[in-house]
Amino acid sequence: MTQLLLVNNLTKVYGNHKVADSISFELEQGTITALIGPNGAGKTTTLSMLAGLVTPSDGSILFQNQPKADIRASIGFLPQYPKFFPWLTALEFTEMAARLSGIEAKKALEDAKKTLEFVGLGNAMKKRTGTFSGGMKQRLGLAQAIVHKPKLLLLDEPVSALDPVGRRQVMNLLKELQQETTILYSTHILNDAEEMTDQLLFLRKGALVENGSLDSVREKYANPRILIEFESDEEVDRFITMSPWAFSREKRLLVIDAEKEKVRISDALTLLTTENFLIRKLELQTASLEEIFMKVVMEE
Amino acid sequence: MSEFANIPWNLILPILVLQLILMAVALTDLIRRKQTNGPFIMWIFIILLGNLIGSIIYFIFGRRHE
Amino acid sequence: MKGLSVLLQKEWRENARNFKLYWIPIVFVIFGIIEPVTNHFLPEIMKSVGNLPEGSEFTWPQFRGEDIFVSLMGQYQLIGILIIVLAFMGSISGERKSGTATLLYVRPMSFGSYFLSKWIVVNGIILGSVWLGFFAAWYYINILFNPVAAGDVFAFLATYSLWIIFAVTVVLSFSAWMPTGGTAGLSILVLIVLQVIDSVIGAFWTVSPWKVATYASMMFSSITNQSGFWMSIGLTFVLIVVLILFGINMAKRNAAKTTV
Repeated sequence: MTQLLLVNNLTKVYGNHKVADSISFELEQGTITALIGPNGAGKTTTLSMLAGLVTPSDGSILFQNQPKADIRASIGFLPQYPKFFPWLTALEFTEMAARLSGIEAKKALEDAKKTLEFVGLGNAMKKRTGTFSGGMKQRLGLAQAIVHKPKLLLLDEPVSALDPVGRRQVMNLLKELQQETTILYSTHILNDAEEMTDQLLFLRKGALVENGSLDSVREKYANPRILIEFESDEEVDRFITMSPWAFSREKRLLVIDAEKEKVRISDALTLLTTENFLIRKLELQTASLEEIFMKVVMEE
Repeated sequence: MSEFANIPWNLILPILVLQLILMAVALTDLIRRKQTNGPFIMWIFIILLGNLIGSIIYFIFGRRHE
Repeated sequence: MKGLSVLLQKEWRENARNFKLYWIPIVFVIFGIIEPVTNHFLPEIMKSVGNLPEGSEFTWPQFRGEDIFVSLMGQYQLIGILIIVLAFMGSISGERKSGTATLLYVRPMSFGSYFLSKWIVVNGIILGSVWLGFFAAWYYINILFNPVAAGDVFAFLATYSLWIIFAVTVVLSFSAWMPTGGTAGLSILVLIVLQVIDSVIGAFWTVSPWKVATYASMMFSSITNQSGFWMSIGLTFVLIVVLILFGINMAKRNAAKTTV
C-alpha cells in the first residue's frame, strides 16, 4: 500500500492552550480511518489543519510526499454543520464547488448533477439550499466534498447530527465512496467507527493516545472476563469454596478476570461439569467498544 | 389650493412609481423570507407607511443576516 | 486569479437574489429626482403654506443647475455612504461568522480572487447607482433649471467616482479585517466623521481623499488648486490599491476565524 498522508508532530496552540499536541500518524491510500475522541479532544482542529483552514503552530503535513504543496485541490472537506449560501440552489452550489476546485465549467455541471443524484438529492437539485432540512444539508455537504473526486476526504462528525435513518443512508454512501478514495472522519460514537474502519486514532485532550486497527485495539483492551450465572445462591456458595480463582460476585453472578487469573473458559467449564454445578450461563466477555472508548480517551 | 394644482404631476409621478416599485421589492422579499429581525407584521407596517425610508430600513435592518 | 470568474458569478447571484442589485439603484435614483424637484418647487410650496407675514418679501437663492448636482452630491455624501457601509459591511466578516465562507476557503481559490470578486461587483452596483442617480437629476435639471454642459458633468462624475470607489474599498477591506460591528463603526468614522473634520479644519491642507468630492464639485466652475487636485487623486488611487492589498491579506489571515 502507498502512503497518502504523513502527519508529523502536528500542534496547534491557542494562547497557552494546546488544542492539538504533537499528533503524528499516517494514512494509507484507499483506507478509512476514524478519529475518535470526546467533544473538545481536538478532532475539529486537527481536521481543520489538514483541510488548510487553520495554520499549524508546529509540525508538518506531507501529502503524497510533497511538502508545502497547496493540498486543497486534492481534499474534500465536510464540516460538522456545513453552511451554504441560502440563495444558491444545490446544483449551483455544487457546480461552484467543482469549478473552484479546478474543474472546467461544462464538466463541473455534469459532475455536480451526477454527484447530487448519488447522494440522493436528484429531486432537490434546483431548490435553494435555504429551504433544506438538516439531513439534506448533510447530503449536500457530502456532495460538495466529493464532487471533484478528491484523493482525501475529511469528514467532521458526518453522521452524529442525523436521525437513525439518515445515519444509515450516509454510512452506506461512505462505504461506497471507500472504494474510490481515502477517508478520514471524526466521531465520538464508537459504534459508528466499528462499522467501517481500517484504522482508529484516539484523541484525548489534543494528544493522540492510541493508534491501530480495530482488531489490534480490541485485542489490546479486550480485558476478557468469564461470567458464570448459577441457578441458586447455594450453588454460588458451593462454588466459592472450591474456586481457585479470584472473582467478584453480584447475587448469582460471578465474574472472573480471565487475564489476571490466567484462566480459560474451558478450565471453568471443566470445573463446573466435573462438580455438577447447576448454572444458567457461562460466557467469555470482552470489552465493548464503549468500554474501550471510556478507557482510552476518558481515563485520568 | 390653486398653487397645488400648478405642480406638474408628470414630473413627480416617476418618484411615486419608483417608490411603489421599491415597496413592492421590499414586500416580496419580506414575504419570501422565513426569518426577520423582529415581527413580520411590524415590517409590513414599516414598509407600507414608512415610504422611501421604511423600505430602506427594511432592506438594511429587517433581513436576518444570512 | 484562480476562480475569479466563478466567484464573480457567485457575487452577482447573491446581490441579484437579495435584491441589492435593485433596491440600491432605485434609492439613488429617487434621491436624484427629489433633489432638483424640491429645490425648484420649494419657494412655491413655502409661499402657499408658509403663512409669511403680509408684505414680507422672502428671497430664495437663485439656484443654477450646477448647484443642484453639488447639493445632490451632498446627499450622497451622507445617505449614499451610509447605504454603502450598512449594505456591504458584512461582505466578508458575515461570511466568516455564518460559516458559509468555510466551504470556499477549503477550495484552492486565491484570496485575491475572493476579495476582488466582491470589490468588482459592489463597485459595479454602487457606481451604477450613483451614475443613474446623477443622470436622473440631470434630466430634471435640464427641464427645471438650465442645461449643464456634458463635459462638466462627466468630469464631475469621473472625479466623484474615485471617491466612491475609495469608500467601497474601505468598507470591504475593513470587513476582511474585522467583525461586522467593527467594520460599520470604523467605516463610518473614516468615511463620514473624517469627511466632516476635513471640511471643517481641512483649509490647512490641500491633499486628502476627503477633498476629492470637493474637487469634483469644482468641475462646474474651475479648480483653484490644480496640483492639490491631482495629488489628491493620486493619493486616493494609491490608498485604494493599498487597501485592496490589505483586504486580500486580511481575508487570508482571518480565514481560520471562519465558523467550522
